[in-house]
Amino acid sequence: MITIVDYGMGNLGSLKNMFKRIGVNVLVESDPNKLAIADKLILPGVGSFDAAMSRINNSSGLREILEQKANVEKVPILGVCLGMQLLTLSSEEGELPGLGWIPAQTTRFPIKGGLKVPHMGWNVALPSNENKLFVGIVREPRYYFVHSYLVKVEDPEHSLMQTHHGVDFDSAIGRDNIYGVQFHPEKSHRFGKQILKNFTDL
Amino acid sequence: MLETDLKVCSRCIYDERVASISFDSNGICNYCHQIDHLSKLYSTGSPVGEKKWHEIVDKIKSAGRGKKYDCIVGVSGGTDSSFMVYLAKKAGLRPLAVHYDNTWNSAIATQNIEKVLRALDVDLYTHVVNNKESDDIFRSFFYAGVAEIEASTDLALAEVMYRAAAKFKVKYVLEGHSFITEGITPVGRNYFDGRYIKSIHRRFGTMKIKSYPLMTFFRFLWWTTIIRVRKIRPFWYIDYDKEKARAFLEKKYDWQYYGGHHLENRMTAFFHGIYAPQKFGMDFRNNTLSALVRLGKLSREKAWSLYNTPPKAEDGLVSYFKKRLDLSDEKYEEIMNASPKNWTEYPTYKKRFELLRPMFLILAKANLVPMSFYLKYCFPSTAPS
Amino acid sequence: MLRTRIIPALLLKNESLVKTVGFGKFTYVGDPANTVRIFNELAVDELLFLDISASREKRGPNLKVLRDIADECFMPLGYGGGIKTFGDAKAVFDIGFEKVAVNFSCFENLHLVNELSKHFGSQAVIASIDVKATLFGRKKVYTLGGKKNTRKDPVNWARELEDLGAGEILLTSIDHEGTWNGFDYDLVKRVAGAVSIPVIAHGGAGHADHINKVVISSNASAVALGSMVVFQKKGMGVLVNFPNIKINE
Repeated sequence: MITIVDYGMGNLGSLKNMFKRIGVNVLVESDPNKLAIADKLILPGVGSFDAAMSRINNSSGLREILEQKANVEKVPILGVCLGMQLLTLSSEEGELPGLGWIPAQTTRFPIKGGLKVPHMGWNVALPSNENKLFVGIVREPRYYFVHSYLVKVEDPEHSLMQTHHGVDFDSAIGRDNIYGVQFHPEKSHRFGKQILKNFTDL
Repeated sequence: MLETDLKVCSRCIYDERVASISFDSNGICNYCHQIDHLSKLYSTGSPVGEKKWHEIVDKIKSAGRGKKYDCIVGVSGGTDSSFMVYLAKKAGLRPLAVHYDNTWNSAIATQNIEKVLRALDVDLYTHVVNNKESDDIFRSFFYAGVAEIEASTDLALAEVMYRAAAKFKVKYVLEGHSFITEGITPVGRNYFDGRYIKSIHRRFGTMKIKSYPLMTFFRFLWWTTIIRVRKIRPFWYIDYDKEKARAFLEKKYDWQYYGGHHLENRMTAFFHGIYAPQKFGMDFRNNTLSALVRLGKLSREKAWSLYNTPPKAEDGLVSYFKKRLDLSDEKYEEIMNASPKNWTEYPTYKKRFELLRPMFLILAKANLVPMSFYLKYCFPSTAPS
Repeated sequence: MLRTRIIPALLLKNESLVKTVGFGKFTYVGDPANTVRIFNELAVDELLFLDISASREKRGPNLKVLRDIADECFMPLGYGGGIKTFGDAKAVFDIGFEKVAVNFSCFENLHLVNELSKHFGSQAVIASIDVKATLFGRKKVYTLGGKKNTRKDPVNWARELEDLGAGEILLTSIDHEGTWNGFDYDLVKRVAGAVSIPVIAHGGAGHADHINKVVISSNASAVALGSMVVFQKKGMGVLVNFPNIKINE
């Protein structure tokens, strides 16, 4: 059973609805005991880095069960938008350290040359490494992005897709069972649907 | 031989359950005879019929000279009306497409209308009812327990077409009805007119009717006798192959099929697929199936077997219906299981139509009302079984 | 390359979708959730819903209608209309909308934009500015459905709202709305030139050329369409559609 982690921040309804459209029943849980029995996890996130990390750290048992599922049981985990940034070591947006499951840094978009920030809208993501998460994707898929901070991985093997907005950044990352997408698959029509479908097939 | 104890017409698959049906000594039903009679009357599909159609086209053209449009075509996104627009343009007419939107259209219907009209460069006139009013009327009919839940849509389209005709001074309305491909809907069980809709809504409705275009008796007479808008059904004169038409539309305009007669609108889909069969034991697929049998396109055996498999409905259609009309699961089940009511239990104009039969015969002969209207409305119907 | 967003802006009046001309006369367009299904099929980039009577009727967002809409949508959603408090906005986000637009509330409570932006991120907050020419031809910011002249200058007001943390400006020309005659290119250019956040041009689009012009010459980052997505053509019937627009950038 795929379970969406409810730590109080994130577009849970839309994610759940899109899975329903694919024909997959997912659970939305905040209780660590319920999360413990999940086969796969989705880590959503909308809002600020520190607000998210402190909720995760301070919810009784939550950080522990997430670490358990990610690094011990190694179940597939997909971080979405802010959820992907939480997978990194740290973010310029906040003071707290991230989960650090993928060696990467989250930094602000450079405000130079009239670059509009936040990066908001539909943009193309191009594959940097092959991965099961992106099977069946069309040549130039576009997804809906809305973020002011970007992620760059330290090890190029961990970059799955790249996108350009003023600078190149990693729009999808992955290491073993841990995945992250900067864009919103649940808001990206059939392009996003394909990714979520692939995730359920992992 | 069909596998059933029911008496079934030997030519089509209408069975004894069909309202006002009778069988002759050869086992052929009166509806087959009615269609034969109409085919003869209109010379359907014959050179004579073709000639009649061309004569009508010429009349339309001359009546429309100097005006922006010369005819009205009611569109729904369905096969018949979409093909009708093409036919009108092909004949050199300048049609105005007219649509009544009851706010339950499927996306396919809207896109079909858009594609066909854009490709043929035809203007569209619409009347969109306030969605809450539309739902209030549907809910009234549901609560009333009667079968004609689609009545408000059908009558509204007719009224809107007349209004468009009057506005643009157009004297001809082209309708995509074909008694060959659809048959004639049996008289008696189902009925509707403006007074019927008004009385049901008065009993069970909760909001005032403001945006819904109600065709009152007065308005009906006004359109037909004063404004004198003629209703023409080209498929009564010329050959019309529905399957060929569908393939043509798909290829030429990227038009999409929605899976069944009238299923481009979700209220219609609910009516045909769930409401009528489950609550009233009425399955209208025998209309189109019988038509296919009469045309020799389907065997009686295959048609009967198809007819006896339950109709398929879009996933989530019932929950959409409940949600839109704000019905709890319990209320929905309660009403679906309650014994059906009949239109004869509510005030209608029926008696008036019967009394004025001679006048309507004249109007029908002049194409000011459809002949099928005359046959259905102006004769007393047998009591429902 | 970030695509220029073309956003259908749908107007809600009570529980119906409507279309207005110059914020005045309206036509019924359809049922909100049913109409959204059509846009889903058409794979539009983003949808914006604006409740045009909420503030005037002194009420908040109709959450039931918004829930029905969000359940149907697989693209980003924005909502504006009657959002007065943090709670109002949170309720809308919880339903599944990505952004909220605030207009009248900014005049009553200048800090609302800041509060929302701090908590939800500036990308989630759209500052909605309606502009009309006064009798003397000066362009001023109006609110409450175009009924109240705030006497503010659009460019200054846009700057103020940007400073408070708005992530985008929805700039609507009341005079051009529903006319199909093109945008107020000068107004859009002046506002877009004064702020660094994206400006969504709204009001007057009738043709692909208008859209190209307001993006290329007036530097709009995005375009909101009303009449074009709701009518078959100018002066004709209601037919929900999404025109295929190529931006020649």
